[in-house]
Amino acid sequence: MTLWTGPILPMVALTWPLLLGALTALPAMRRFAVRLLPLAPLPALWLAIMGGQGVTTAPDLLLGVTLDLDEARRLLLGMTSALWAVAGLAAQPMAGKPHATMFSGFWCLVLAGNLGVFMALDVATFYVAFAAVSLASWFLIVHDRSEKALHAARVYIVIALLGEVALLLGLIIGAHAAQSMAIDEIRMAFGDKPLNTVAIALLVIGFGIKAGLVPLHVWLPLAHPAAPVPGSAVLSGAIVKAGLFGLLLFLPDGAFGLTLMILGLTGAFGAALWGLTQANPKAVLAYSTISQMGLMVMAVGAGGAARETVPYFALHHGLAKGALFLLVGVMMAARSSGQRILSLVLAAVVSASVAGFPLTGGALAKAGVKDGLTDMTTLALSLSSVATGLILLWFLSRLWDVKSSDGTGIWAFQVSLPAALALAAFVTPWLLWSDWTGHEPSYMLKWDSLIDGLWPVAIALAASAVLLRWQLPQLPPGDLLQLLGRWQPRTMTLPDLPPLRPDRRKAASVLRERATEMEGMLIRWRFTGVAVPLLVLLVFAILT
Amino acid sequence: MTGLLPILILLTSLVPAAITFFLAQESYRLRNALNLGGALMKVGLIVVMLFAVAGGASYETDIALAPGLVLLLRIDALALLFVSLSASLWLLTTIYAIAYFGKKAEQSRFFGFFSLCVFATTGIALSGSLISFFMFFELLTLSTWPLVAHKQNAASLKAARSYLSYALPCSTVLLVAIVWLESSTGPILFTDPPDLSGVDPVSLRVIFALFIIGVGMKAAIVPLHGWLPAAMVAPAPVSALLHAVAVVKAGAFGVIRVVYDVFGVDRVEELGVGVPLAALASVTIIWGSLRALQQTEIKKRLAYSTISQVSYILLGAALASPFAVVGGLAHLVHQGLMKITLFFCAGIYDERAGVRSIEGLNGLGWRMPWTSTCFSLGALGMIGLPPIAGFVSKIYLGIGGLQADAAWVLWVLGASTLLNAAYFLPLLYRLWYCEAAPDVEADETAPALVAPTVAAALAALLAGLLAASEISPLGWATLIAERDYLQ
Repeated sequence: MTLWTGPILPMVALTWPLLLGALTALPAMRRFAVRLLPLAPLPALWLAIMGGQGVTTAPDLLLGVTLDLDEARRLLLGMTSALWAVAGLAAQPMAGKPHATMFSGFWCLVLAGNLGVFMALDVATFYVAFAAVSLASWFLIVHDRSEKALHAARVYIVIALLGEVALLLGLIIGAHAAQSMAIDEIRMAFGDKPLNTVAIALLVIGFGIKAGLVPLHVWLPLAHPAAPVPGSAVLSGAIVKAGLFGLLLFLPDGAFGLTLMILGLTGAFGAALWGLTQANPKAVLAYSTISQMGLMVMAVGAGGAARETVPYFALHHGLAKGALFLLVGVMMAARSSGQRILSLVLAAVVSASVAGFPLTGGALAKAGVKDGLTDMTTLALSLSSVATGLILLWFLSRLWDVKSSDGTGIWAFQVSLPAALALAAFVTPWLLWSDWTGHEPSYMLKWDSLIDGLWPVAIALAASAVLLRWQLPQLPPGDLLQLLGRWQPRTMTLPDLPPLRPDRRKAASVLRERATEMEGMLIRWRFTGVAVPLLVLLVFAILT
Repeated sequence: MTGLLPILILLTSLVPAAITFFLAQESYRLRNALNLGGALMKVGLIVVMLFAVAGGASYETDIALAPGLVLLLRIDALALLFVSLSASLWLLTTIYAIAYFGKKAEQSRFFGFFSLCVFATTGIALSGSLISFFMFFELLTLSTWPLVAHKQNAASLKAARSYLSYALPCSTVLLVAIVWLESSTGPILFTDPPDLSGVDPVSLRVIFALFIIGVGMKAAIVPLHGWLPAAMVAPAPVSALLHAVAVVKAGAFGVIRVVYDVFGVDRVEELGVGVPLAALASVTIIWGSLRALQQTEIKKRLAYSTISQVSYILLGAALASPFAVVGGLAHLVHQGLMKITLFFCAGIYDERAGVRSIEGLNGLGWRMPWTSTCFSLGALGMIGLPPIAGFVSKIYLGIGGLQADAAWVLWVLGASTLLNAAYFLPLLYRLWYCEAAPDVEADETAPALVAPTVAAALAALLAGLLAASEISPLGWATLIAERDYLQ
């Protein structure tokens, strides 16, 4: 048995969180469970910083595990592990609260799955990792066991299971088409004409559910706000990226392009506008996530250079959205008006970045994707910045209304966490700009680029002045789900098959009568003397 | 020595059975020693043989019972797959059963017939000819009856009667099929495929159908499944070993033998009977799951789940493409490990908390964490959640379906996954998230009940986690398929 070949770090990065997760189950470790969380993503973060050093294989594990990093994988792995580490720090005030141990254990499992999605080269490892990140996040959603959380968790598990099945079937078709378990070969096999429409549709459903693709997004505005703040941060920042990355991995360039672009843009605008009807700031952020993910899916559908830069866009969104969710928690923990104002200012800065304000990380992310788009879609992207600006201004006003409730822990430490993420969301896009777009940094200082980033924000500011006066209706989260009404499980009744013996007593008496009759017939030699030879002949005729 | 091995393996179960019948109820120690010793010896012998057979060896013994009637015992890779499953689970179940019965009555009768059942199962696995297979198959039919009727109350006797009313007619059908076929081909050995060219295709199709009825009844194919849920009145070890593993697997194993060693894959395809069999298996998969949803008793729900899951094996055998064969064979082991875990747990809930209905599971998770964790692992594996063994079977069966140009199999697998989730997840939710009733007394301080359960659950987990290694069920199934069926 070979344990592994190749560099060991990728194996460590995956097994370390699992090990910590298993440790939390030990009674002696229960009190420290939450304390372990920031440590869980560290090997993966180290791996992302060092970069891939060749393929790691564990030939006996699952159906043969193979792991490696390329540039896109490395970028997303780095963003994900950094976000998880910061969110793990933000989870520290949960120590000692009810169910914190269980939360920690499954946190580690979801984390391992999330990292595995970005590292797997073979489809079995990918599927296992995806199942972990998808289904185990149920435990993050249901955590506080309130009526709302239970409802969100119920909706989530039904949709997630449907997605999991769609994914499994799609991957099976892919593995068969490619005659291989390697993801790259499956994508190439899908690319051969004629397109394997059923398989790709199944994969779009499976990944789209995770990525919040309209109309499969209905679980997201329920689930993301239901989780505790650090859970919402990783759900909205890192976990949704697993679905996005799945689309990038398996869909051949341009497959279902128009569909993805239409659905993506519908999400980008629809969700941003619907988010304006939400009262809960976390629900507003969840709709903003759907909107941003819609933009990324649109870029995937556009194909070519735009598709290539999607990970770069995702990097910024993950860090920034993580920061915004954490800021909701920071606002809840704020004890003085100074602290509240500082939280709001920080949130405003990050929001400006997400809306693509000039020279921010978000502006770079958008400029990178725009490079590969045609005129129409470029305009759509700029217009979506208006929508993003609006929904985030609405978020800021909702954030300001958050009442301080959760005054435990050191506030300065808590506020430093989203600040660090915000800093990373500003610095890393600049550092990676040339590598990912091939432009000099001065490209962003040109008047065109500056104006490009500025006008949507200006329009959004003007519109929001009207909007904040004009009271929009407040609606419960879940939009399309409301159309279905509240889903009530009904008991189903099936008819049992008729028993083999319909009525024993009756059958027996009938049998007895028949037997007597038969007996009466058989004892007559005239009958038997003819019948037996005939029977013998018949048997011979059949057998020979 | 090598010729004796198959006989020795049979004797490890037969000798304890024969002696146990004559022991007094009070001789607990001797009875336990005999049964445990037999089970341990068997596992030991099998480990030795696993290495030998992996290296290419095979063992064969024939015993003349009557002129022209030879009992042929043969150990090949397929036989060993089934024997090692039943032997290792026999060991676990014996430990479990000793703790389960404690000082309850009629133990000599129970353990005697129990070992006899294992003897028959082993015989089925080792049979090298159709007639040997039939003899052991019928021995299994009859020796199961006292175990189902063990509690001797009205419900048990009714269930036992119902079992016989299914089993005996089907046995007759099987005998007719064997006699009909052998009358034109001569004795059929599994080693060299019989020459069926002398029999006309219509008769062959009828014979095939008779065979499937005869052996498929034990695999609980719809509509011959009614006996299995009824038999759940039996004590937990019986439900665990026999109704989740030995008896139903004997049926599935029989179908595999019929398809591959009696008719042969090519002939089955030529006759066009593979697709109807796959369709029948699919109907069983879906029907069993739908019925499982409606059950309110834990063991009944598990029984319908067994009906559904065993047909995965038949589906793999019927599709007969390389991946489907491997997936079906691997599922023979996977399903056994997961389902025995679930039945062990159901027995513990019954014994240690007095819980039989699904409502009773509320909140037991934290009171009985080991049992409930094992139950959760088994249930999640049944749904097909990685890395527990079930997902490996699903992937292989799915690819196998595509290889056999039967893409509809994917929809069956998908529907079955969702249905499995629908009837297992609510149980897990109850276990871990509902409040327990205040008056429930539950504890799991019974290491001899819990340890075998944990071992079985771990095995199910490892079978999936290490699926790609040579020693996993999947690895062994691949070896069988490459060696015997896919030349």
